[in-house]
Amino acid sequence: MYKYSEKDKKIIAGRVKQFRNQVQRRLNGKISEEEFKPLRLMNGLYLQLHAYMLRVAIPYGELSSRQLRKLAEIADKYDRGYGHFTTRQNIQFNWPKLPDVPDILEELSKVEMHAIQTSGNCIRNISADHLAGLTNDEVEDPRPWCEIIRKWSTFHPEFSFLPRKFKIAITGCENDRAAILVHDIGLKLIKKGSRIGFQVFVGGGQGRTPYIAKKINDFLLKKDLLNYLEAILTTYNQLGRRDNIYKARIKILVNQLGVEKFKELVDESFKKLSDKKLELNETTIQKIFKFFELPNIKHCNEKISISSNQKFNNWIKQNTIPHKILGNSIVLISLKSENRPPGDANSMQMYKLANIADKFSFGEIRVTHEQNLVLPHVKNSEIYEVWNELDKLELATPNIDLITDTICCPGMDYCALATARSIPISQQISNFFKDYGDQKKMGNIKIKISGCINACGHHHVGNIGILGLDRNGKEFYQITLGGSSKQDASIGQIVGPSFSSENLIIAIKKILQTYQKNKSSDKDDFMTVFRRIGIEEFKKNLYDNTGKTN
Amino acid sequence: MSANDLLTGKVVFYSPGGWSFRSNDALKINIKDIEKFQRIIEEDEKRCIIVSPEFVELDESGHIKTLRDKIRNSGVTIEI
Amino acid sequence: MIILEKQTEKKNLYQRISQDEFSVNKIKTSSMLSLNQFMEAEKRIKSKNLKVGIFLNSDQSLDCLKDKLELFSIIQINFKSFKDGRPFTMAKELRKLHLYNGEVRASGHILPDQFVFLLRCGFDNVEIDGKEKKEWIELYNMDEGLYYQP
Ligand code: SF4
Repeated sequence: MYKYSEKDKKIIAGRVKQFRNQVQRRLNGKISEEEFKPLRLMNGLYLQLHAYMLRVAIPYGELSSRQLRKLAEIADKYDRGYGHFTTRQNIQFNWPKLPDVPDILEELSKVEMHAIQTSGNCIRNISADHLAGLTNDEVEDPRPWCEIIRKWSTFHPEFSFLPRKFKIAITGCENDRAAILVHDIGLKLIKKGSRIGFQVFVGGGQGRTPYIAKKINDFLLKKDLLNYLEAILTTYNQLGRRDNIYKARIKILVNQLGVEKFKELVDESFKKLSDKKLELNETTIQKIFKFFELPNIKHCNEKISISSNQKFNNWIKQNTIPHKILGNSIVLISLKSENRPPGDANSMQMYKLANIADKFSFGEIRVTHEQNLVLPHVKNSEIYEVWNELDKLELATPNIDLITDTICCPGMDYCALATARSIPISQQISNFFKDYGDQKKMGNIKIKISGCINACGHHHVGNIGILGLDRNGKEFYQITLGGSSKQDASIGQIVGPSFSSENLIIAIKKILQTYQKNKSSDKDDFMTVFRRIGIEEFKKNLYDNTGKTN
Repeated sequence: MSANDLLTGKVVFYSPGGWSFRSNDALKINIKDIEKFQRIIEEDEKRCIIVSPEFVELDESGHIKTLRDKIRNSGVTIEI
Repeated sequence: MIILEKQTEKKNLYQRISQDEFSVNKIKTSSMLSLNQFMEAEKRIKSKNLKVGIFLNSDQSLDCLKDKLELFSIIQINFKSFKDGRPFTMAKELRKLHLYNGEVRASGHILPDQFVFLLRCGFDNVEIDGKEKKEWIELYNMDEGLYYQP
C-alpha cells in the first residue's frame, strides 16, 4: 500500500489548518455561505437534508485495517455509528457537526486519509478497478497511476475552479470493472508490442445527459501522461460552459465541438504547453510502483474444499474469485444484506472487519465502485474461518453480481437534491428476491437506482435502471433497460411511463419474466438476452396485458 | 419557515420563540406576509445562525404538503 | 482598493478611464483600457510607441490580443466570480505560451484562499479591499511552499 512521504504529511496537515481557519471565518461571519460553500466542498463537506455530510476519500479504493478502524472510531465519536460507502470508492458520514469537522480531518490525517477534492468543481478522487494487482488478465496495475495522478491533481492551482466536477478512472485490463467509459476521463492501460501505455477516453458521464466516453488517444506514452491530462484540463477550463451548470461537464463540450475538434485542441495544447518538469521518468514511476507490490503471499496447491454447509458453498460460488497466486482467493464482502441500506456499514462491522483483515488478508481491505468491500488476499485453507467470521457480522450475503447486489444512491432520505427515495426501493428488491436459488435463476444482473436525474446511483448504466421522479408530490419510478458500464458500455433505454412505488416490483417481475422466457440457454444473462431481443419485447409484456400498470 | 442550523446542520423551524428543532413550535405564515419573514431570514443568515432557509408548504388543514418536507421534519424513513 | 504583491502593499500606477471621459488622444502610459477602448486606440498606441494597461473580464478571451502583448505593461484580469476559474488558465498561457513578462494582476470577486493559486499560475499581484489586507497576508503566510506540481 501507498505510504505518505514527509511532504504528503505536511501538505495534508497544512490543509487541515487551512480548513480550520475557513470554518472559523464562516462561524464568525467573515465569509458568507456562498463563499464558504466551494471551500467546504473542496474538503468534502456538504449540507444535506437533515445534517452536514462529510465525504472522505479512499484513493483508488484501498484501505488498511488501521484506516478502517479510524473510520469506525470517527463514526462512533462524531457520527451515528455508521458510514456509507459510495459508488466512487469513498465513504460518507451523514451526521457530523460543522465545528467538529476540522477535528475529524485532523484525526483522519493521522492515518493518512483526507477529504480533499471529494466534491466541488475540481479533479475528484481517482478511482480504479477494485481487483487491481490481483488478477492475471491485467496489463498493469492501475493503482500506482492513480497515485501519480492524485498527487498531480491535489490543489492544482489552475484546476481547482473548473466549470464543473471532474472524474477520472483507470483500468488495467480489458474487462473493465472501473466503469471508465462513464467518467470525464477514462484511462485504460494497454500493451502495444512490448510497450505499455494508455488509451484515453474523454467525455463520458451520467447525469441528465448521459454519454459514453470517446477515444481521443490510442496510445499515450507513460511519460506524457500528466502533460496530456493537463492539456485536456486546460482545454476544458477555458472552453467548458459556465453559464448553465447542466451543460458544464466536459461531455457537453466534447459533444458540442465534436470529438475530432476537441482532440485537435488537446493535441495543440499538449504540443505547445508540455512541460519537461511534468514528464514522468522511469525512476519516479518505479518508486511509486514499489508501494504496490504484493505482500508476501504463499503460493500453494490448496483448493477450497466443499463443505456440508450449503450456505458456505453458495457464498464461495458467489463471493470469491481465485487470486493470481495459486492457493489464494479474493473475497468480496457484500454490503447489500437484506435489511440495510446498500453500502452502509456500522462501526462494529468496521472494527471487526479490520481485525479479520489483519488476521487473514495482510491488513488490506478494498472498496468497490459497486459499494461492496474486498479482502484481497485470503488463503484457501483459511477461507472457511473467514466466512464464519463474516457471517457472524452479517457480512456474508452471497449475492455479488446478483439481482440484490443493487447500486443505490442515498435518495430523498438524505439528499437535498432528491426527487424521490431510493433506499426503500433497493430494500423492496432485497426482500422480494431473498432466496439465493431465486436470485441465481436470474443470473448476473445489475439494478441501479438513483433518487433524481443527477444519477449518482448510475441508473443509466444499470441493466435495469431505476430513476425516482416526483409526479405531483408522489414518488414515481422510471425504468430503463439495457445499460452497462463495462467495456461494452451502453446507456439504458426508457421502457415507457413510470411506475408508482407499489407497482415497481410488479414491473420488475414482468421484465424478468420476459428475460426468462427468451433465454436460449442457461448461460444467457440478462444483457445477452436484452441485446438479442431488444426493448420492444420487454415493453410489450410490461404494458400490454396489464391495462393500466401505473 | 425552516432552515438548517449552521452548527449542526439540523433542520430548524421558525417559531414565536426563535428557531426551534421542533416543527410543532413552528409559526404558520400566511403567503401574504412572506416578505416580512424573508427579512428575518436574511438577518439570521448574516448573524450566522442558520443556512439554507426555505419555506415549507402546508396544505389547507395545516399539514406539511411535500414528501421532501415531511422527511426533513421526521427524519430518514429507513432503519439505520 | 489596494494592490497586494505577496505580503507587500504596492502603489497602483494605473487608472481606468470611464467611457464618458475616454478619448483616444488622452491615453497615457498609465492608462488601463478596456478591450473596446484598446481596439479604438490601438493605432495611436502603436504610432506613439506607448505601453498601456489592459483590463479584461474573466469571460473575455485573450486570443485576439496574443500578437499584441508587447503593447501592454500590465494585464489585469477581473474575476466576475471567484468560481470562474478561467483566469488561472489565462495567466498560465500568458506566461508559458506567450512568454509575456509584464505585470499580471487579478481583481474582482476573489477570495484570500485563492491567493497562492493565483501567484502560482503567474499572477503578480491582486487588487483587493484594503480592509481585507490582513486576511490575505495571513493566508499567504499559511502557505508552506509545498506542492505536488512543478
Ligand atoms: S442521484 Fe440525486 S438523489 Fe441520488 S444522491 Fe445524487 S443528487 Fe442525491
